[in-house]
Amino acid sequence: MRDFTYQRPASLAEARNAAALPGAMLLAGGTTLLDLAKCGVAAPETVIDISHLPGLASIEVGLQGARIGALAKMSAVADNAGIIREFPAVSEALWQSASAQLRNMATIGGNLLQRTRCAYFRDPSGFPACNKRNPGSGCSALGGVTRNHAVLGASPSCIATNPGDLAVALVAFDAQVELGARTVALEDFLLTPGDHPERETDLRPGEIIATVSIPASVAARRSTYLKVRDRQSYEFAAASAAVGIEFEPDGRTIRDLRVALGGVATRPWRARNVEDALKGKVLEPDAVRRASLLAMEGAIAQADNHYKIELAPRVVARALLKTGELA
Amino acid sequence: MSNKIDITLNVNGRPEALQLEPRVTLLDALREQLGLNGTKKGCDQGQCGACTVHIDGERVLACLTLAAQVEGREVTTIEGLSKPGQKAHPVQAAFLEQDAFQCGYCTPGQIMSAVSCIREGHAGSDEEIREYMSGNLCRCGAYPHIVAAVRQAAEAVQ
Amino acid sequence: MSAAEATRRYGDSSDSSSTASGSVIGASVTRFDGSAKIRGAATYALEHRPANVAHAVLVPSTIAAGRVRSIGTAMAEAAPGVLKVLTPDNAPTLKAASDWLGNPPARPDYQPLTAEIAYAGQYIALVIAETFEQATQATHLLDIVYEEADAVSGLRDVAEGGGFLAEPMTREWGDAQAAFASAPVQIEQEYEMPREFQMPIEPNGLIAEWQGDKLTIWEPCQWLDGMARTYSEWFGIPFENVRIISPYIGGGFGSKAFCGPHDAIGAMAAKMLGRPVKLALTRPQIFSSIGGRAATRQTIAIGATKEGKLLSIVHTGASETSINETWVEPLGVVTALMYATPNLSSHQRVVRVNTVMPGAKRAPGENPSAFGIESAIDELAYEIGMDPLEIRLRNYAEEDPHTRKPWSTRQLREAFAAGAEAFGWSRRKPEPRSMRDGHHLIGWGVAAGTYPVRRAAGEARVRLLADGTVEVSSSTIDMGQGAYTVIAQTAAEVFGLPLDKVAVKLGDSSLPRAGVTGGSRMAGVMTSAVHKTAVALREQLVELALTHPASPFRALQANTLTVADGRISSPLADGAVISIGSFLAAIGKTEIDATRDTFAEIGIDPKDSYKNYTTIAMAPPPTAGDFSLHSWCAHFIEVRVDEDFGTVRVSRAVSAFDSGRLYNPRLAASQIKGGIIMGIGQALLEEGLVDGRHARLMNANLADYLIPTNADIPDIEVISVGIPDPHASALGGKGVGELGIVGVAPAIANAVFHATGKRIRDLPITLDKLI
Repeated sequence: MRDFTYQRPASLAEARNAAALPGAMLLAGGTTLLDLAKCGVAAPETVIDISHLPGLASIEVGLQGARIGALAKMSAVADNAGIIREFPAVSEALWQSASAQLRNMATIGGNLLQRTRCAYFRDPSGFPACNKRNPGSGCSALGGVTRNHAVLGASPSCIATNPGDLAVALVAFDAQVELGARTVALEDFLLTPGDHPERETDLRPGEIIATVSIPASVAARRSTYLKVRDRQSYEFAAASAAVGIEFEPDGRTIRDLRVALGGVATRPWRARNVEDALKGKVLEPDAVRRASLLAMEGAIAQADNHYKIELAPRVVARALLKTGELA
Repeated sequence: MSNKIDITLNVNGRPEALQLEPRVTLLDALREQLGLNGTKKGCDQGQCGACTVHIDGERVLACLTLAAQVEGREVTTIEGLSKPGQKAHPVQAAFLEQDAFQCGYCTPGQIMSAVSCIREGHAGSDEEIREYMSGNLCRCGAYPHIVAAVRQAAEAVQ
Repeated sequence: MSAAEATRRYGDSSDSSSTASGSVIGASVTRFDGSAKIRGAATYALEHRPANVAHAVLVPSTIAAGRVRSIGTAMAEAAPGVLKVLTPDNAPTLKAASDWLGNPPARPDYQPLTAEIAYAGQYIALVIAETFEQATQATHLLDIVYEEADAVSGLRDVAEGGGFLAEPMTREWGDAQAAFASAPVQIEQEYEMPREFQMPIEPNGLIAEWQGDKLTIWEPCQWLDGMARTYSEWFGIPFENVRIISPYIGGGFGSKAFCGPHDAIGAMAAKMLGRPVKLALTRPQIFSSIGGRAATRQTIAIGATKEGKLLSIVHTGASETSINETWVEPLGVVTALMYATPNLSSHQRVVRVNTVMPGAKRAPGENPSAFGIESAIDELAYEIGMDPLEIRLRNYAEEDPHTRKPWSTRQLREAFAAGAEAFGWSRRKPEPRSMRDGHHLIGWGVAAGTYPVRRAAGEARVRLLADGTVEVSSSTIDMGQGAYTVIAQTAAEVFGLPLDKVAVKLGDSSLPRAGVTGGSRMAGVMTSAVHKTAVALREQLVELALTHPASPFRALQANTLTVADGRISSPLADGAVISIGSFLAAIGKTEIDATRDTFAEIGIDPKDSYKNYTTIAMAPPPTAGDFSLHSWCAHFIEVRVDEDFGTVRVSRAVSAFDSGRLYNPRLAASQIKGGIIMGIGQALLEEGLVDGRHARLMNANLADYLIPTNADIPDIEVISVGIPDPHASALGGKGVGELGIVGVAPAIANAVFHATGKRIRDLPITLDKLI
């Protein structure tokens, strides 16, 4: 780790000012920043420790939905009774992330800003070329070991997968991030790489995520997060799906549907084509399996990750059928 | 030249005044400066759980925590779980009885994690124990015995 | 399973003493070193803090082939706290050391830091600074210019038949090719295993301190005397001038048995600086610079009758090694041992690729060999429609099929029976895809495993102290296998003392000598040595009691005395009873001691003592003598495969094993389970992913190289079916540590086939292969 100076701002405003200075980086849970600093990917000159700021860790769940302070710990949100009741997919996404220790450290705001696990991105000395780290330098992953790279939302500049679980559930249920002066839908806040993989979010200099809000919905109440991976625990998703269903009064016909995918795309991937294909239809296995294939529209495989194109629709289908109590 | 800061850590109930660079992790501060070697360095990148300690009673990884970050908080390490010469903590005793370790290197982290696992209410079934103890890798392969030890200790605590 | 149940279940493999309570050999006492380990009070080698220690961090090459054109050090040297930067330009040349077999080096010199690069991760520089943080930072300030050359990234880069023949691996009997060609049933398949890593949780590294021409090393180390010999040869100092201290080892699995370049560089730095130097490898450096298990490829052709009787096995294999050094992962060892076959041919090639030299990972040879033959025999069973257990019994080898010598003991049939019974094998439906539970296809698989008995001589010192306690010392080590415990039990038994009256000192090369802790030999070697020494000391005690002028027993005119429960007594009921401590006080001694070795027992000339402890050249093969000596096991595995996702989970495991007599059944069971768990990782998760363009390992960390977590492991039942084997060791035990992993991967692959109808012949069995 490079040497840095350490500051503890007393207020969010003070933190914003400090974070706007060049070379400054925010430290909340530390699980991303310190990891990347050790890899040589992050080299802050000043670390702004916001973990002691008061009043930013609350979790409120009411009729309108949930408001989660950016410094709330992943574990606290996962175990929150209101979240478990109103947004089961959010709780499930959280407890299946990382490990219990990391979830006690990592904050909700920081989790949404976590960086890709692309092995080429994480190895600056071995692979200087990385458009995320060094715009215009090229992508070392193309043609390399690509088992965990994205099949959706990639570009010739970058094929790095967004590793998040929580963000997938939040995108499914239209969560928003409050950045102080403005509020942005999370789906818009997290960017696909295009020609600028170095731009991962819509966060502007001096902005700090203060709150994450999730509107209440019937679909969110009846939701699940299904994560598939080779190792049973403590691994990033090979493919995952956050789904939620609202039925018509008949209990069979789909009124509202939410589908988002993780582990397969450069950002949490909302599959509106799957949602649209099933809305108004009766939930039944064949229709669900057929519609789930739409999630992979536009998917492009690399040498080692074609399995994701097979796997992801099956994860979506299982999640939907499970949520509809048909699996 | 060097950019050292003065901090006071509260470790195992004792204030410890330290002068260190801000980039020093809690893990290195415990081991290199305070001589508390019970907290182990396994991967130094948040992937093995050997460095698990408690901050304000919750299990965290000391390798991804700056020492400066925890000033003002309570740090508990394996050395603080039961004092030398005193009776072992029920989780420690259960690990010994169930032969829940071999080489012993991941063991302090496993034990600190297990204490939290029980305290958090995540020791309700063997399946839950396995999931909530999965942040602590054990290469000797003591997992089934770790589950037995956590189960035994959870029953003893309740 | 409770500890009490474990005692009952495993105790039956030992002699009658195993069921007794107390500290005797064969009792399931808790781990002797356990109290320290649960309190964080066990101090591992790298936790030693010599005064004025400097911290060093290595810099690995990022290219796999070519050369370092230049390393600019000015910025690093100017960085705060930096004491020295070592590069190929200023690092001294050492003397080359002989290898672990004792073969002299091919070249006289050794340069641990060179500009010529043969693998990614090869060390090219060392930064030494006042603090770890400063040294780490300065490694990023080096200006390194490479000339990259084309690299060979792995076995797949080399055409079939490439490399060179490893002649000593060849096994031939009968006419295997002809017998295969004419066999009514033929199967022929290729099996592959990737590069794998040992990955104990404690990192490799060392603290080196020089005083004149004396070198002290604190290092996690499976072989103090072997590594001390290497240091002494590198630096041209007498063997006795090197002291290695390694009180506890945080797991080894083969990765801490030999010196590596980091050892030479670290000790060199301490010498140049005139200060103690601490050098711990980072986790990624452990992946790239400590040789793991070589990637392997095997082709097995089996010819058989329609009734499943083997007629021929034709086996060819290839394993990778490094560009400059040769490691052979013996692929035919189980192929040529497990089943009775009238014809066999086994050949192995070794292929040079740009990797660090591979090394020993738990059961080198036996493990991949068993994956091949135990998969192939299973394929044969399905081919002819026979139960996979039945085909193994039908071809049961009643003697060693290669040497034709009788087995010393082989309780493999008993292992199959006990395992099948506990597992419920008879309820298995034979057809693939015939058992399911919802989305899960259920499969049951079986495979056998074996590991040879490796014998060696050991040495121990036992002291009997005036306070009535016993102290045992040896330079053998404990890396979790239970050395402290079984050594303490052995001494306690001889003197009839409780364990808390026994002290054990291990892990210091200044203590009486021991060979490598590897090859599952430690317990057999050291209980033999300690038992012999303790008995000699007991006899010395009795002799003193009978003859010493101040002895209260002298007047008895007895021929012998009884030593039990820490007391000396006359065999006559009304005779004197006196504690050992009181007796020593009575005769005016503070202690008596004895040191013995077991050279005679295994037929080594004591003049070869040095070679015995510092190389493995003296170790007799398992077939030396009149018998063929091996441990055996049978694994029964249930998997659940999600039919949509291809994810495999092991849901049940039952293993029955024959390790002869168990000195501590509880600890032996733990070790067998540990082997099974590492085998589950090997079968389902572990794979070094290499970028073929740069021959560079892409998952050199514990988040991307997956080893099992707690959630991956079900309850595991292990059953001991061993009987004491007097040919294997003085006290009747065979090997434990490596046996458990052998056969696990094929049992899982066989279960996956039973579940899914898909035969996966390249490990690991990840979901993409089944989807």
